[in-house]
Amino acid sequence: MYQSAHFNQYNAISGVWDEMYDANANIRDHYRKVIDYLAKESPDDLNKKEDLARRLFMSQGITFTVYNSGEGIEKIFPFDIIPRIITGDEWAFVEKGIKQRLTALNLFLKDVYHNQFIIKDGVVPIDVIYSCPHFLREMYKLDVPYDIYVHIAGIDLIRDEQGTFYVLEDNLRTPSGVSYMLENREITKRLFPDLLPTCNVRSVTEYPTILYKNLQSLSPRQNSNPTIVLLSPGIYNSAYFEHTTLARLMGVELVEGRDLVVHNHKVFMKTTTGLQQVDVIYRRVDDDFLDPLVFNPSSILGVAGIMSAYRKGNVAIVNAIGNGVADDKAIYSYVPDMIKYYLNEEPILKNVPTHQLRHPDELAYVFQNINKMVVKKTNESGGYGMLMGHAASEQEIEDYKKEILKDPRNFIAQPTISLSAAPCYIQGTLQPRRIDLRPYALCGPDGIEIVPGGLTRVALKEGSLVVNSSQGGGSKDTWVLA
Amino acid sequence: MLSRVAASFYWLSRYIERSDGILRMLKINYASSQDAVREFTWEPVIRIYSGADQNLMNRLKNDSRAVLTYMVTDKTNPNSIMNMITLARENARSVQEHITRDLWQCLNDYYHTVKDPDIEQKLQKDDPISTLDVLTKQIMLYYGTAEVTMERGEGRSFMNIGKHLERAIQAIDIIDIKFGSISGNPDLLTNTTYWKHLLLSLGGYELYLKTYRAGLEAQNVMELVILNSDFPRSVIYSVNNIQVFFERLRNNSNREDYREISFQIGRLQSYIKYSSVASIQETGLHQFLTQIKRELYGIGTALNEHYFANS
Repeated sequence: MYQSAHFNQYNAISGVWDEMYDANANIRDHYRKVIDYLAKESPDDLNKKEDLARRLFMSQGITFTVYNSGEGIEKIFPFDIIPRIITGDEWAFVEKGIKQRLTALNLFLKDVYHNQFIIKDGVVPIDVIYSCPHFLREMYKLDVPYDIYVHIAGIDLIRDEQGTFYVLEDNLRTPSGVSYMLENREITKRLFPDLLPTCNVRSVTEYPTILYKNLQSLSPRQNSNPTIVLLSPGIYNSAYFEHTTLARLMGVELVEGRDLVVHNHKVFMKTTTGLQQVDVIYRRVDDDFLDPLVFNPSSILGVAGIMSAYRKGNVAIVNAIGNGVADDKAIYSYVPDMIKYYLNEEPILKNVPTHQLRHPDELAYVFQNINKMVVKKTNESGGYGMLMGHAASEQEIEDYKKEILKDPRNFIAQPTISLSAAPCYIQGTLQPRRIDLRPYALCGPDGIEIVPGGLTRVALKEGSLVVNSSQGGGSKDTWVLA
Repeated sequence: MLSRVAASFYWLSRYIERSDGILRMLKINYASSQDAVREFTWEPVIRIYSGADQNLMNRLKNDSRAVLTYMVTDKTNPNSIMNMITLARENARSVQEHITRDLWQCLNDYYHTVKDPDIEQKLQKDDPISTLDVLTKQIMLYYGTAEVTMERGEGRSFMNIGKHLERAIQAIDIIDIKFGSISGNPDLLTNTTYWKHLLLSLGGYELYLKTYRAGLEAQNVMELVILNSDFPRSVIYSVNNIQVFFERLRNNSNREDYREISFQIGRLQSYIKYSSVASIQETGLHQFLTQIKRELYGIGTALNEHYFANS
């Protein structure tokens, strides 16, 4: 069909939803224009584009640093040049589903830190909430502006064999990666001139503007020009690049804990012309490190006394503190029930079936079928502390079982979902690799807005199902078609 | 502007300026080592940038290639170009959203150029001047980009204060060491290559020729590099610029802090302005330079205290 050999070798993985090919091995309509474009390029041209992408990332310092034997080695988050494409219909469905889910999760957070109706009505068991390390009593009866807890959410979606979307995880604390959504798009513009308009791809550049507008609306002072800051742990944080990108795009000050001081329950930043009061803090520091007087006393990343300013309502903090109780992996399985309970609606996006190992019968079931399971720790992320049953050795499984039995509350198990695959340009040929999708939802007083796009993470190792960057994952530009 | 951000701007510039000075020194000294009739000594260079470690001195002083590696790529040398650019970049990284993207890319490219393993190879095997030129060009690009793209605001003032403070200190170190060597070796006083190299390493040779047509004389050299306010690497030029850019930080909310440092800068400026070669010789060049250097350090400390909130 095509002249170029590198496009004929593509073999879709059997039994896996392929984003590009349908069941009859025909190229899906929404991929056609891109594939036509790519087929005209020789492998040499594509290699050059790949190289250009790498150089652009390097010279723009879009890197993360891995510290190894005292020396920082800079790496780029691997980028695959072939975009991942989502149709307008698929997106409309996903968008609706995320809005519904986020609405329920916000209501849940308000409820769980106030009247706790959901516990009293027996929808979510009390022990699941109170045993969650991210449930913070410090937040009890504290009112936050507009009752919004989750201002920024990154909901991880995957697709099974039939192409059905599932929610894999809700990230409601400090979801990262949005700068890659923005940068990947910029790089694609450079790599494939004119391709984006030809394909009718929706723009993602609105993200910082919407976020800024939302942050501005949260200011506790009646002031037309509130001081908004982005609180970063500093240059050694792996997401530092993202912090600077967002601060720059929004035109807000990027601060570290040492730049802030609390005086008389108000937060100030130290400037060359004296102290300046801060109204809104978009923080990229975890709850635990935010205030050494209240949480981890050894933290030097936070600001002593910030929690008191927050409780007094003198400063808005984004995302709210204590959100971890809603994206805990043990709470996750109750989200469909929350949607029914708060909204009286059927969940649009499905949950992956989840076994709570604190129930002895489910524990026994999981142990019997461990080869078909993925077991995760409830309070870990980034792909750490995970057991992939189908790939683990006998010994690894035995060790992991021992670990589980120490405290089953800390573990959940899900059947291995066969993530969908998308074409990637690897060593001169197109090959299928597994992907997920993280759209970013912004929640403000005017409602929830989702920029049409997101971060598509890809497991670059052949056969791998783990997309996390710490485990050899990369990313792709994500197109939503108009 | 955040105090930390101001401090990063200031240090970013100081490191870049220092690396610029080092590269120029290396280039000129290497060139003059090719001119040397007898064995060339790197002793003054090593003394300026690495102190008086005798072992180091013995290892390096007569070995150009070893000095180049030590000064450019050696990570154990705190004043190597590699370490300078790393520090400059760390500072820039922490103010990334305050500098222009172009400037950040410039620094990144400089950093990756120095990190390239080829550099060391070339310093060892090929013509080192080509390599030093490649690096110097990166700095020229940096200065050009800063000039063209940076907002004319507080940040740029702190950058320029840092740059000129560092430049003045470097000029003083070079003059002090070069003139200091004379006392042990009076022959140098009439040695034209000696003065020529001093002027070249400060980039003032051409201006000297245009200003004093009478050949190279120590007193004229001294006048040019300390007192000529049109020579961009003279001490007075740098101090004048510190004053100009500090003036721009005047603001209603920090009058006290401003006045104190403004006073210090003004006093130093007058001290140099109302000196002449004769009066400097009367005081003693070394005493004179030491006094200026002390004042410059004092300005640095005061900035730290009043503007960078590091007290």
